Amino acid sequence: MKKRIDGIQLMSIPAALLYGIFFIFPLVQGIRLSFTDWDGMGKAVFVGFSNYVEFFSDSRALGDIKTTVFFAIGSALLLNLVGLSYALLMKNKFKLQDFVRVVIYLPAIISPLIMGYIWYFLLQPGRGFMYRAAEFFNTTIAWNWMGAYSYTIIVLILVNVWQYSGMTMIIYLAGLQSIPRELYESARIDGASKSQIFSKVTIPLLVPSIRINVVTNIIGSLSVFDIIMSLTEGGPGYSTESLSIYIMRMCYGNKTGYSTAVAMILFVLILVPVIVSFKFTKSRS
Amino acid sequence: MNKRVISVIAIIALITTGLFANGSSELSFFTGKVETIDLLNSIINDFNAQETEFSVSQEYQKDASNIIKVKFASGEVPDIMTTYEQAYVDQGKYLDLSNESWWNRLVPSMRDNCTDIKTGKQYRVCTNMTMAGLFYNKDIFDELGLKTATTWDEFVANLEVIKRERPDVTPLFLPGKEAWSLGHWIEFVPHGYLKQTLGPIESKLAMLNNESDKLNFADPNGAMVEFARNIVELQEKGLINSDVLSATADNRTEAFLSGQTAMFSDGMWALGGILATEPDMNIGFAPYPAYMPNSKPVVLSAEDSGYSISASSTNIEGAKKFLNYLFSAENMKKYSEALGSPSAFKDVDAAWAPDGFRKEVKQVLNSASNIGFTNEKPAGFSGDDAGRMVQDLLAGTYTPEEFGVAYQKAWNNGF
Repeated sequence: MKKRIDGIQLMSIPAALLYGIFFIFPLVQGIRLSFTDWDGMGKAVFVGFSNYVEFFSDSRALGDIKTTVFFAIGSALLLNLVGLSYALLMKNKFKLQDFVRVVIYLPAIISPLIMGYIWYFLLQPGRGFMYRAAEFFNTTIAWNWMGAYSYTIIVLILVNVWQYSGMTMIIYLAGLQSIPRELYESARIDGASKSQIFSKVTIPLLVPSIRINVVTNIIGSLSVFDIIMSLTEGGPGYSTESLSIYIMRMCYGNKTGYSTAVAMILFVLILVPVIVSFKFTKSRS
Repeated sequence: MNKRVISVIAIIALITTGLFANGSSELSFFTGKVETIDLLNSIINDFNAQETEFSVSQEYQKDASNIIKVKFASGEVPDIMTTYEQAYVDQGKYLDLSNESWWNRLVPSMRDNCTDIKTGKQYRVCTNMTMAGLFYNKDIFDELGLKTATTWDEFVANLEVIKRERPDVTPLFLPGKEAWSLGHWIEFVPHGYLKQTLGPIESKLAMLNNESDKLNFADPNGAMVEFARNIVELQEKGLINSDVLSATADNRTEAFLSGQTAMFSDGMWALGGILATEPDMNIGFAPYPAYMPNSKPVVLSAEDSGYSISASSTNIEGAKKFLNYLFSAENMKKYSEALGSPSAFKDVDAAWAPDGFRKEVKQVLNSASNIGFTNEKPAGFSGDDAGRMVQDLLAGTYTPEEFGVAYQKAWNNGF
């Protein structure tokens, strides 16, 4: 007996078409191109796995993986910590609460590129606003955060956290507000302490919010581009270059096939923590 | 219902008619030169007012040299463009302009600079000449009784006098956050030495064919390693700005305008911005000092603002007609003054800079070895990449000897 197509299936066709055109098709094309030496102009010649081999033997590319992963782990951890802390503070009513929420969320709606330039004007070693302000108060800031990789990457993470913690906060706040009050009351009647309530009631019920935040933060941070471009342009040298910037530079350096292979590697790099996160939070929930 | 159907058909018809009408009568001009946008818009408006068969429209993109790659890849190639790549010449993307009448009006050396080394043909016409060297504050030099240096030792001695006598002034400013600015030092100093010693054609061929025995990038006694030693020497002696890795070109211009720095390296394109703020500033121009045995000071004297026509343009005659209009002596005078660089056309007499400065530039051009840009670099190793390596050198990642080896490796990988 033939199964009839119902209305819901019919209505999903446009979405499926869009998904096919804008995700499946480019992905398949990308996989195909990643096995070629296409320079973006001439003919693409099949080169097997040589682009992938080249990537893993290039010290600059491996350095970019280190930067990207370090940035993503640091950002995801801090974003969730700061976002959750903000949400816990915002859960309770206080004067000017709405205003404070807007102030915390505001950076998230500004372009990261513009935000990066603004932070550069503020933090530029020896010339930025902070330096001049310190000078005004007869003191000096001798710290050159662009002089050492460890400082530079920390500044990049902090700017990223400052920009997106408001977004993380909103998701945690929605999660916190959906936890029934009765659960807290019964926990208190049973004699649970504040820390026990937090770890045994709040956190388990926040697992869906944690999952969304961790996944979106990891995806966003692993594909970071704008903040690094505006603050350090990946420098000094290539020390703070992310994989996204590397892909762009390789693509415009007439190595389109190679850059597509790197994009595939980045895709897998993003996919792994996302799958792990889903598995982990699924079992917890 | 019928009315709705008719309305939809009418809208579709209007849109498609508009699209096709637009496509057939518009000639697209693509540029990355921010300095000439307004002037070109005005010239284009004048041209469009008198032209009945088609109109010209200008598209400016800051990152034009990269965006043109997307345009070529997607088949949306502009009719006229100011971007030029050897790879596109090799693929026959540009129209051969060798037999156009413009060349009779051009300074002969500029025609040479516009000639493709492989085919001997010209696929672009440059409208201007540009120079790059060391800009200096003449008032500071006069006050300290300094003369411009011709050798590296004299250059360092000058900077040391400035540091000693005027501790409030940074002797030489390097805006090192911007990789291109450090890439220029490579382009004009060690590459400049190669061009000077090998000659313009031989050096181009050596770079194009990657003849490592002539380029000698990794040689501990070669021009590249010696250049790296010199840059590190300037940093160690405190003769450059201490924030070299985070300073921008804007910081440099501000410092120069306020008298906080005595010298910087750049091309004539930097002059317009300085004179726009301080028209009466006493600015001097000097060549890069000689730093290798038996070499001369070097100055960049190259083609600027090159125009090409796409070989696939559907309106080649229209494109030539527009360029004829643009290249008229009257328009080129305005163009030269807006750009702040001398015209490549012999019949154009433009006041592109103050008289004294123009005289000094002329003297430098006559006394120093004139070099052109390196268009024969490997496609995968840009001037920006070279600049990033200098950033690493200044950050202490490399010793000068390691820098030479790393440069050679990066150059080889770029092919």
